[in-house]
Amino acid sequence: MTNPTFLFIQFMNSVSLAMNLYVVAVGLTMIFGVMRIVNFAHGAFYMVGAYVLFSVQRATGESDLGFWAGVLLAPVVMGVLAFAIERLLLSRLYDKDHLLQLLFTFALVLIFKDVVKLVWGAGQQSVSYPPALSTAVNLGLAYYPAYLLLVSLVGPIIAVGLWLTFEKTRWGRIINAARLDREMLSALGTDVRLVYAGVFVAGAMLAALGGALAGPRVAADPSMDGLVIIDCFIIVIIGGLGSLWGSFLGALCLSFIKIFGVLFFPEWEVVLVYLMLVLVLLVRPWGLLGQPDEERY
Amino acid sequence: MTKRNGRLAAAAILSTGLTTAALAADPIKLGVIVPTSGGGASVGLPIVDGIKLAVQEINAAGGVNGSKIEIVVRDEQLKPDVATAAAKELITKEGVKAIIGAATSATSLAVSEVAKAEKVIAFTPTAKTEALTDAKLHKYIFQYPSTTDVDGKRKAAIIADKLGTKSLCLTGLNYAYTTDLFKSVKASLPASVKVSNEYLFEMGTTDFNTTIGKLMADPCDTILGSVFGGSFISFAKQAAPFGLFKTKKLVWASQMGDYTMSATLKGDFPEGLWSSAVDAWYFDGTPAHKAFQEGLAKIQGKKETDMWPLAGYMTTQLLVAAIKKAGSTDPDKMVEALEGLTLESPLGPVTVDPKTHRVAAPEFYGPVVTVPGESVKRMSPVTLVR
Repeated sequence: MTNPTFLFIQFMNSVSLAMNLYVVAVGLTMIFGVMRIVNFAHGAFYMVGAYVLFSVQRATGESDLGFWAGVLLAPVVMGVLAFAIERLLLSRLYDKDHLLQLLFTFALVLIFKDVVKLVWGAGQQSVSYPPALSTAVNLGLAYYPAYLLLVSLVGPIIAVGLWLTFEKTRWGRIINAARLDREMLSALGTDVRLVYAGVFVAGAMLAALGGALAGPRVAADPSMDGLVIIDCFIIVIIGGLGSLWGSFLGALCLSFIKIFGVLFFPEWEVVLVYLMLVLVLLVRPWGLLGQPDEERY
Repeated sequence: MTKRNGRLAAAAILSTGLTTAALAADPIKLGVIVPTSGGGASVGLPIVDGIKLAVQEINAAGGVNGSKIEIVVRDEQLKPDVATAAAKELITKEGVKAIIGAATSATSLAVSEVAKAEKVIAFTPTAKTEALTDAKLHKYIFQYPSTTDVDGKRKAAIIADKLGTKSLCLTGLNYAYTTDLFKSVKASLPASVKVSNEYLFEMGTTDFNTTIGKLMADPCDTILGSVFGGSFISFAKQAAPFGLFKTKKLVWASQMGDYTMSATLKGDFPEGLWSSAVDAWYFDGTPAHKAFQEGLAKIQGKKETDMWPLAGYMTTQLLVAAIKKAGSTDPDKMVEALEGLTLESPLGPVTVDPKTHRVAAPEFYGPVVTVPGESVKRMSPVTLVR
């Protein structure tokens, strides 16, 4: 068990799982950070991503082009759906009670599950690896699946991209302003409705991208949203609600605990993650990289 | 409104007219309790397909003892309390003469309790738990599939004889079926096969990388797995890039030889994995099996049928044969007729054990491999094990 090759593979497994989860969780944290909405339907958006990729792959056959077309199309489809949901429904609830927003996103979960069953059936479906990345590459210490390496790279690229957008662009500054004071931004002449719609769509697209990237690793079935939404909530709570780098760190913490936890303390597998959650909440209730509410403004 | 009532009345008169014309006696009702919605529907609905085929054949041949057979289907939703309520309702309100079901171990144990109390036969087409006809055996419960002890012996024989295994690893989802099966396999293995390690993981696991890593590092040459459904898909796809299936031989429980699974996984199905299935549509061993598949293809609308209908079909045929032999639908006479009953089936003769009430149905075994000219892998050569 302490064989260096095995430990190295476990290390890489933790990183690739973390990066896949990060892509999903960062969308959740963005939506919460700007809109103050806890999006229960985030897992359902992830599920839609995996299923869209499945349909594209079935239509195009198992080719590299078909796979990547599906990975790109998944967030586009989800983005369009999310735009419609935000403009037509969710936007009516912004000035209502938080409970209504919670109930609304929970209703979305149920609706998406049934729609998925109608369109793709209740059974399991499988997405294949893109042929060019279906083998393993030599990393010196061990061979590691090429596809998972690529997923490990997508995470940091998105993290840096989001950081640049939020810190260095006008758009990023507007979003930050919307987060801090919605009324003031509106009074200054910015259309806040557009900002909210944009953030919700971007968050949903990230969830679908994460679902598509997870496609070859897991089975697509109508219950796949439940497991990922729990992981995502743990990630954003550990990292700090609304913190982009927090969810990056949270995803790494969760994945390392999961994968090395099973290795060294198999009996404690289920408990370890929650132990970590409790510990973080005791020491830093606002999360590792989050800000306490009074310092936020 | 009056127009509609008029039409309804006309239809009612017509249909009663038809039934009285066609039948000398009242139809015999059989209850069916299987999951027809949610995650279990992929098992329950095909079972109903098989039952329908049997009923079609029996009624076309004039029914049994002058009566036609009718089925009343209820959804068990994989929930024991729902199955219990359905069984009570079928017996007391619908007046069914026997119940086919339930489909899973937990729900069939629940239905068995009702059968015992109400003194009506319950015949499970698919539940494999030994407890049903072991610790909880009573007069009115019957079990069609092979139980875990039989499965264990069959799998141990394949490991020892077909694969020439020296050292065996075991891995699977941590639940009753897996632990019962592993116990039975280990007890049935010859001394020449060494058992290396056992790696269990919790239900609901979607990331199998740690287990895969441990299996890769283990010196065993064969893996016996017990992972089903979506978890099997995830496991197979996560293990493939590491080359796990190239370095170890594989024997799998949970009937992964079913065509539906290899059609779902296509190229990602581990080549050469040994498993089993209740039925294989491409088996052309007997004319009876061919006829069964032709009838089923009409019901399912495709010739690549799945394996579950045969279990429903056989359970129905056995019950009807018992009614015929007993000359009555009296449950006690039916039990007497069922005990020791032998019936020709699409897979050859099957017998209800008079003491254990088990049929221990035969199953197909074989390595799932790529077959030239076919896009979906299948068991080849496929062998019927009894």
